[in-house]
Amino acid sequence: MPNQFEPKIVSFLCNWCSYAGADLAGTSRISYPQNIRIIRVPCSGRVDPLFVVKAFLDGADGVMVLGCHPGDCHYQQGNYIAQRRYSIMHRLLEFTGIESERLFVDWVSASEGKRFAEVVTAFTERVRNLGPLPLIGTKKLSKEKFQEVAS
Amino acid sequence: MKVTTQNKINEWLAGFLQKSVVIAPVETEGKFVYRQIEEYSQIAWDFERTDMPPKTAVFPMTEPILYIEQGSKTILKNPPLPKNKIVFGVRPCDARSMLALDALFINKEPIDPQYAHHRESVTLIGLSCPQMWDSCFCTVVGGAPNSTDGLDILITKVGDHYAVQTFTEKGTELTDKLISEEKDLAIPKPVLTENLPTLQKSGEWMELFNNIFWEELSQSCISCRACSFVCPTCRCFDVRDELTAFRPGVKEFERLRAWDSCTAAGYRRIAGGHNPRDTQNKRLRNRFYCKFAYYPDDFGPLGCVGCGRCIDACPAGINILEVITRVEQMTEREKVNG
Amino acid sequence: MTSLENQIRNSARKFLEDGQVSCVIGYERDARGRARPAFIVKADDTERLIWDSDCSLNLVNYLHSRKSPPGKDQPIPKTAVVVRPCDVRAIQLLINEQQLKRENIKIIGITCAGTDINHQLRTECEFCQERIPLIYDVLVEPEKPVELPASQDAYADIEEMESWSSEERFDFWTKEFDRCIRCYACRQACPGCYCFECVAEQVDPHWTSIALEVPEKMFFHVMRAFHLAGRCVGCGACEAACPMNIPLGKLNRKIAKEILELFGYHTGDNSENLPPLVCFNPDERLKI
Repeated sequence: MPNQFEPKIVSFLCNWCSYAGADLAGTSRISYPQNIRIIRVPCSGRVDPLFVVKAFLDGADGVMVLGCHPGDCHYQQGNYIAQRRYSIMHRLLEFTGIESERLFVDWVSASEGKRFAEVVTAFTERVRNLGPLPLIGTKKLSKEKFQEVAS
Repeated sequence: MKVTTQNKINEWLAGFLQKSVVIAPVETEGKFVYRQIEEYSQIAWDFERTDMPPKTAVFPMTEPILYIEQGSKTILKNPPLPKNKIVFGVRPCDARSMLALDALFINKEPIDPQYAHHRESVTLIGLSCPQMWDSCFCTVVGGAPNSTDGLDILITKVGDHYAVQTFTEKGTELTDKLISEEKDLAIPKPVLTENLPTLQKSGEWMELFNNIFWEELSQSCISCRACSFVCPTCRCFDVRDELTAFRPGVKEFERLRAWDSCTAAGYRRIAGGHNPRDTQNKRLRNRFYCKFAYYPDDFGPLGCVGCGRCIDACPAGINILEVITRVEQMTEREKVNG
Repeated sequence: MTSLENQIRNSARKFLEDGQVSCVIGYERDARGRARPAFIVKADDTERLIWDSDCSLNLVNYLHSRKSPPGKDQPIPKTAVVVRPCDVRAIQLLINEQQLKRENIKIIGITCAGTDINHQLRTECEFCQERIPLIYDVLVEPEKPVELPASQDAYADIEEMESWSSEERFDFWTKEFDRCIRCYACRQACPGCYCFECVAEQVDPHWTSIALEVPEKMFFHVMRAFHLAGRCVGCGACEAACPMNIPLGKLNRKIAKEILELFGYHTGDNSENLPPLVCFNPDERLKI
């Protein structure tokens, strides 16, 4: 569709579950929107809130963190810690005006290829409807009209 | 005496807004800062002293210096010459601070090209102080509430009128449309604060370098940098090369400079981790010595114009006027004893 | 000189004379009538100590420069500090985080009637139910007992902001951060912020640029608030230190409200409970 807003979505997928789930979606030839940029991490517990905020700061319109289902974490506890962290981060971001719908944290296992595609499709649509995050627009510095000087 | 009225000033400013950038004091959440305005009605007239100085007009908080595209041999530098900037409502102390900044940035090699560009494009229109405000001490450092140093134009409120004085060609040209009449008006002398200390010469400060007073004073300093950021003459900055991640499709680095302060813990930390000013004592002492000893020795003018913003901004109650007074007392004691 | 001030001076004098501490950190009045930190080492100088509603900087912050031995084979210095009930929770926090040892600190706890910010009583003080510090070595009591406020919603202003639209909140914070000059006074005044190198200034990894632009400033404030989740004691030192009157406390109190609701945890409780962000319950399913 021409002129449609294409959101930039950064996805943190844990190596053991959600990343494998994404692989399965691929090998099963299930298509999903190309808006997501995948970053593989060992565990959802590795996803530092710094990553999430930096992603929004650098121009992401949505951020997704997918981990193993509670109880199934390869490292036993990582996803529980992630759950706690993001329950707070969500509410903090909402309070600062970054809609909490832009941050999506969920659990996708290695066998859920179809579900991975569904989840990504739904989130992409959700962020598309929200529109671009206006944060980058608040920057004032610009490199316009800097003159070229050969080295 | 050339005079004008409030209405004529408003018209005059409206005229500038058509073709120049106008920066003036505005009020935001109880704080007075210098911002670019779109209408003259945005100007705040009822301030004593602004909370942030007008140095942002010639030395922005953040400024890109150049851009380099990765893998290419092209460097983009020399930012476009800024449009003419009128800075309105500058207090005499802040105008003197511009002269202090000039001493470093343009009067001595190497010349700072960014600063030089900005400085050339600004016209400083001053607003005289009828008195010295709470925590002001401009007279201690060679200034005055009605000083004309560094200004192109000075406006002084006298009753219902404003007296207009010009000191440069630029100033005289610009006030052509401003003047309403010639009047026989006497500008009252500003009210000065009394019982202020005498500033000692840099040599006297150097004698006190190892005095325990600095150690005691610096205990309450939290290295917050607020004093340097509100100071009209502080000009230290940090430079970083950073990836401009938000320009899609292009891997590009920009060299940014941003305000920094010698009171910050890591300011003087160098590669390898060594920090010559690793204690609060050394850092706070440096700030005062820079203003009253190093800067005048190296560049001429003092590094302080007596505006007193640092006194208001310091969360730990460190007071530069108290420091000047203590140095005077300690020096007198030395003279009596020595 | 009020009775409160008398008590502070007497306890400080005793601690110094008995050699129990080498320094008392309290407040004194400066030439302009404002309260500012004082570092008293001689018993006679304790006459300088005062207490009033202007005492709004958290003195526990200064303990960070007195928590390590000053030299090889030297003991950690012992310090007495004058604190409000909220400040004392910071001491408990730092003890829990292995930064301070209880035996090195003498706590002069104030029965607090509230302190000001910008010459007005702090919002937190208006609703505070805790007027007596949780831990102390000496409790300084007023002649008349401090009245507790009738139980009111301590988070009313936060809830009000929660009822705004996302856009309104975004506009509010971008306007506030536009005024921010990224001086880091808030971070420096905070007893919970003691990282050797802050993420906002790190070069490697490079989290954010040094530019004073709204997205970068938002990054700093959001991440600082998050790094204080479950650790902020609500002392208001950050707001007191800010030269631009930015209502930083709102971010921290929003998080404190969520942590209290979700996990029933209040920073600085002297209990066995671990802070909620370093532990978990395997049976919980939180709404994210």
